[in-house]
Amino acid sequence: MTPTVPMTPTVWLRYLGVLLVAVSAPVLLGEMGVLNDTRALVLGEAVALAIAALSLNVLMGYAGQISLGHFALLGIGAFVSSKVTAPSAGNPVALPFVVGLVAATGAGGVVAFLIGLPALRLRGLYLAVVTIVFNFVMVQSLFQSSWLSSGSGGVELPRPLIGSFDFVRNADYLAVLLAVLVLVWLIDANLSASKLGRAFHAIRSDETMAASFGVDVTRYKLMAFTISGALAGLAGALYGHLFTFVNSGTFDLTQSLFLLTLVVIGGLGSRAGVVAAALLYGVLDFVLGEVFGADVAGWVVFGSALLLMFTIAQHATGLAGAIRDARERRNERSVHVAAITPQMVDLPRPTGLPARVSASSTDGPLLAVRGVTVDFGGLRAVDDVSIDVPTGRIVGLIGPNGAGKTTLFNAISGALRPDAGHIELLGRDLSGTPAHVRAAAGIGRTFQMIGLATDLSVTENMLLAQHQVATYGPLESLAGLGRAPRIEAEMRQRANDAIEALGFARYADTPVKNLSHGQQRIVEIGCALVTAPELVMLDEPSAGMAPGAVENLAVRLRDIRDELDRTVLLIEHNIPLVLDVCDEIYVLANGALIAHGLPDDVVARPEVIEAYLGAAI
Amino acid sequence: MGQVLVIGLVEGTLFGLLAVGITLIYRGTGSINFALGEIGTFGLYVAWWLTIDRGLPWIVGAAGAVAVSVALSLAFERLVVRPMKVRSPLAISVATVGLLTALLSFEFQKFGESPREVPVPIHGLGVRIAGVNVSPTQLLSLGVVAAIALGLGQFLRRTDFGLGVLAAAQDPDATRLVGVPLRRVTAFVWGAGGAVAALAALFVAPTVGVLTPGFASTHLFVVALIAAVVGGLSSLQGAFVGGLALGVLKSGVLRVFSESALPGKEYLVYLAIGVAVLLLRPDGILGAPRLRGAT
Repeated sequence: MTPTVPMTPTVWLRYLGVLLVAVSAPVLLGEMGVLNDTRALVLGEAVALAIAALSLNVLMGYAGQISLGHFALLGIGAFVSSKVTAPSAGNPVALPFVVGLVAATGAGGVVAFLIGLPALRLRGLYLAVVTIVFNFVMVQSLFQSSWLSSGSGGVELPRPLIGSFDFVRNADYLAVLLAVLVLVWLIDANLSASKLGRAFHAIRSDETMAASFGVDVTRYKLMAFTISGALAGLAGALYGHLFTFVNSGTFDLTQSLFLLTLVVIGGLGSRAGVVAAALLYGVLDFVLGEVFGADVAGWVVFGSALLLMFTIAQHATGLAGAIRDARERRNERSVHVAAITPQMVDLPRPTGLPARVSASSTDGPLLAVRGVTVDFGGLRAVDDVSIDVPTGRIVGLIGPNGAGKTTLFNAISGALRPDAGHIELLGRDLSGTPAHVRAAAGIGRTFQMIGLATDLSVTENMLLAQHQVATYGPLESLAGLGRAPRIEAEMRQRANDAIEALGFARYADTPVKNLSHGQQRIVEIGCALVTAPELVMLDEPSAGMAPGAVENLAVRLRDIRDELDRTVLLIEHNIPLVLDVCDEIYVLANGALIAHGLPDDVVARPEVIEAYLGAAI
Repeated sequence: MGQVLVIGLVEGTLFGLLAVGITLIYRGTGSINFALGEIGTFGLYVAWWLTIDRGLPWIVGAAGAVAVSVALSLAFERLVVRPMKVRSPLAISVATVGLLTALLSFEFQKFGESPREVPVPIHGLGVRIAGVNVSPTQLLSLGVVAAIALGLGQFLRRTDFGLGVLAAAQDPDATRLVGVPLRRVTAFVWGAGGAVAALAALFVAPTVGVLTPGFASTHLFVVALIAAVVGGLSSLQGAFVGGLALGVLKSGVLRVFSESALPGKEYLVYLAIGVAVLLLRPDGILGAPRLRGAT
């Protein structure tokens, strides 16, 4: 993700300046005769393509979901805008251009929402499947229906008429297109800097991790596709009003595929990259066509497709990503990671979360796991396990590899659904609720493999971890207005405090992937604590740490219990650490609970020793 | 009714065949090969060149088509998939979109949009089944698909290599345990995919009549993809049954709504079926083992 700046007055002024240049330049150049109608049309198509590329980038570059039918959404926008703005037999009142754009944007969003609904509830490639079929449906069928287009004849889209000024000249309409491009860029920048951008990025990195931070994965994937669809509808209407005529063939699958190609080779997730790729292609296509003829220009698409395969094979984030990585490597070399001793002080309690219930006010345990069973195919990974985690304790969960510890963690945090059993937190039954609801209810966790968005900086991860307290709405995210700036500023303050407390201030803007493994662990634990959850579940925090760091970890774990007054459920293989910090432990072997009690007692029991030795042999 | 069934089943076997190809690649690699239809189209252009242009017999064209499609698939696996730095199912699938785009633009550049005549294996009237004329080509098609389906089924279930292929997606360790290198499994699924794509394209061509860029993507792949979803992207039998069902539905819809002026009605049916399966039975009609939800 591009580093983003909050919308200060200076930034607003800069956008205003760019907007003025974008609008006046083509008009002036048109007056001077430099920008003739042919050239302005070529540039206009490139700008419309750039808006479409930004639209696909929101879905694919940010949220990591594939649409193979984006031009069908552009088509929806164009046909809807034609219905609204072109006078016809069925539509005697032709409405203004701006109304057409708004209707096209709305229609694109609504249609994307509807086709995304069945596909995005599921993990995997289903959106790609549904959208490719959708593109065929629109082009082969509905765009040719008599209702939308009177057969395959196509529809007219008039150029805007504002007052008495008619945008018939291409250079003048190009000014409109550029103005919209600047606006869409601004919306995109706001989105990236908001909780939406972070949630999308987290989903793209790892859906399970995203949910553990309280992100409702299905809802946010749908939101990404809806925003993307709305922008696609807008781009389609602009494209249609540029050429003043479209038919079903305009939105053929080949166009959708080519758009995807541009976005990938431009650099997934990079605004500048995808816009540059779209503009460059438009100009290149035109110049090659002028110099060598249309036949040679046609090979540009073929070349781009080869470049796409090369880009994907070499580096998953495209050309812009490769450039960015190279730049980061250069910068990182000078400030190489030095050993630091993290501190953990009391993190301020974030507003917007329910107050923590003190230990005295509840009778039962903080967390009660009752009869949980998980089957994988024919294998029983967790077998009828019940455990209690009392408030204010550090409870250890140990057992040989493959005993089912992480599976039980996943069942508790909601990352998977157990085949039987109940999970209760403070007497509230959470069984059957998705992971993001449990995160909001007060369960924070870490993962065996680091559960952070490793491309993002330490600060951005701390902001991502506060997703549940970012209570502003999606529209406020896009506009960068309303409650969004205030809440973001509060979150940023809390993130800075937490980073300061952990002793990571000098790495605040460093991408997490550039930190050492042990440092990533500390950041991950910090993220799990930043929203002050009732229960912190840590999955092998000492894995990969140096012995000195493990001693330090023991002190910090006790701090979490004694200073921060939190409850900890801990999976650990480091037995000395477990004996050192845990108040009580549970032992799992082959999915079943074999022992429970005080640490020193339990590890001396013959059945526990046998489970470990048996596994060792 | 009989007519709808016969026409639908004949075409449905070809949808099913390609759906099996999609499913095999999905099971072997976790990715969807979006270029699979177009790999078939490319083979068909080779068959067109050998038979219509060069005047060679159909069987030579067919052999050429299968050989080129298989070679193209294997080359893609070797040159693009295997050297990948991040070989995730998503990355592989996006790369196949690149292959699809490359093939489409190559066809447009090389052959243009003007339709070409398609090679037909056997000319003649054929036989009447349930009051429907079934051409010799369609009979041959049924025979070939049946032979492949049975042969592939036996091969996958009765040989160690086949069992390794079936186990690959769920449990790479199991594949290694039966002594099958994963690399050969991957090469096999891509190669087999290419072969079924060429065959399906060859046999569906006489029904469609003309060859244009995007031929098999438009007439075969999009249906086969939904058929594969009907099989939960994991069950080969489910995918084949899905293909048959979609073939019959297509012919039924075209028959019932033959008066309607709306073109491409069958695509609406494919989308509706796909959406219904995703909403109601996302693991497929034959209830494959649960693969989602686990981390």
